[in-house]
Amino acid sequence: MKTAFVAGLLAATSLASVAHADALDDIISSGTLRCAVVLDFPPMGSRDESNTPIGFDVDYCNDLATALGVEAEIVETPFPERIPALMSGRVDVGVASTSDTLERAKTVGMTIPYFAFEMAVTANEASGVTSFEGMKGKTVGATAGTYEAIALEEQVKEWGTGTFRPYQTQADVFLALSQGQIDATVSTSTVAQANVKTGNFPGISVVGTAPFDTDYVSLFAMREEYGLLNFLNLFINHQVRSGRYAELYEKWVGGEVPDLTANGVYR
Amino acid sequence: MFNYNFRWNQALNALPQMLDGALVTLQIALLSMLIGVTVAVLLTMFRLSGNRILGGFATAWVELARNTPALFQIYMAHFGLGAFGIHLSPFTSLLAGIAFNNAGYLAENFRGALKAIPDTQARAARSLGMPATQAFRLIVMPQMFRVAFLPATNQMVWAILMTSLGVIVGMNTDLAGVTQELNARSFRTFEFFAIAAVIYYLIAKAVTLAAHAVAWRMFRY
Repeated sequence: MKTAFVAGLLAATSLASVAHADALDDIISSGTLRCAVVLDFPPMGSRDESNTPIGFDVDYCNDLATALGVEAEIVETPFPERIPALMSGRVDVGVASTSDTLERAKTVGMTIPYFAFEMAVTANEASGVTSFEGMKGKTVGATAGTYEAIALEEQVKEWGTGTFRPYQTQADVFLALSQGQIDATVSTSTVAQANVKTGNFPGISVVGTAPFDTDYVSLFAMREEYGLLNFLNLFINHQVRSGRYAELYEKWVGGEVPDLTANGVYR
Repeated sequence: MFNYNFRWNQALNALPQMLDGALVTLQIALLSMLIGVTVAVLLTMFRLSGNRILGGFATAWVELARNTPALFQIYMAHFGLGAFGIHLSPFTSLLAGIAFNNAGYLAENFRGALKAIPDTQARAARSLGMPATQAFRLIVMPQMFRVAFLPATNQMVWAILMTSLGVIVGMNTDLAGVTQELNARSFRTFEFFAIAAVIYYLIAKAVTLAAHAVAWRMFRY
């Protein structure tokens, strides 16, 4: 009797493992959604005075958890650690302002864009840089591993003069800029304005826009988790049509809400 | 579960770039050792001099260098000095940070080595009529180097590995910097980091073996 029971249990477990649960099932059954969020990237992600994560990406993760009916867990990941965090199974989804380049899409699954950045040039006032072209021949920097860092480094190579320096965090870029170690930086306009506004970095100002393509950013998950990616795409769609996207944009950034569609083409 | 398919062919295409980075790494480590040994000898002499100010300076250096993280030392060389308007390039900041660290550790190495040399050596030299400085330079120092040489190669290996901290001050031409950048572009983290680890290992191993060969040649009785 007992052996039959054990055998039955074993059979049941092996049957259950045949009906393979995907990441979406796992998240719902575990009751927790673990989001990779960059908390060094205001206003998308940062910490308030009591060290609680706040920002657009944090709210977005919370909304996603609510939609899934689970608890959200914010896992802080600096930019270079987003993918290792996903690959090693520490997070389920990245809500980390990740640019959806084709090169990266060979490794992770990218959703449709959930946010779009314009690029701005911020300069040290003593450097004499007053426009994007003014950066030619100067020492410029950006946050390592970001879309704008890659684009700016290529631009410096194309100009053939000047130096590019990648710093590990956005805060270090603005610190270096404020100290005059670098003359100018390109960052997303939201980040530039947020940092200039804090007053932590004296002597810098936003001097113009950078003519890089609009930086569309998407959520990411494991490439093969179509069930989850499908849900995420629909979730982003709902965020926009329910007006929540515009609401969050107003709350954290303000101004004209960026369009998330590219005209004349389907995703 | 670890869910990742390795794509070595794509990563290996970047090998020439990474090897160029490895050269820069080795260059910084060698320079930092040269500076480190020079400063450490000075610090050792300061401590032996009996002069309070010089001795205090040397002790402060050794204490700071040995009891704070190298990360902090490099960061301070860049952003700390930057706050006072002294702007070092990432290369120089990294070199300065590691050289500072090396000097502190090597000074302790040398102090230990001096303890291993019998006082009678210096006394014999003095009784032969050598002035104190000459006795130190010709009799004590060569023996000190012999005792300290192999322990100092540890510091060289440590210096090589410390160069990877350069990324925090915007270093993008050394092995760690190049690796980070390749990773940011493609997200092929594990391939690039694995290759970098192998290169670091090979450099460190080569240095250790070379040091043993040199020691065998130079210091045999």
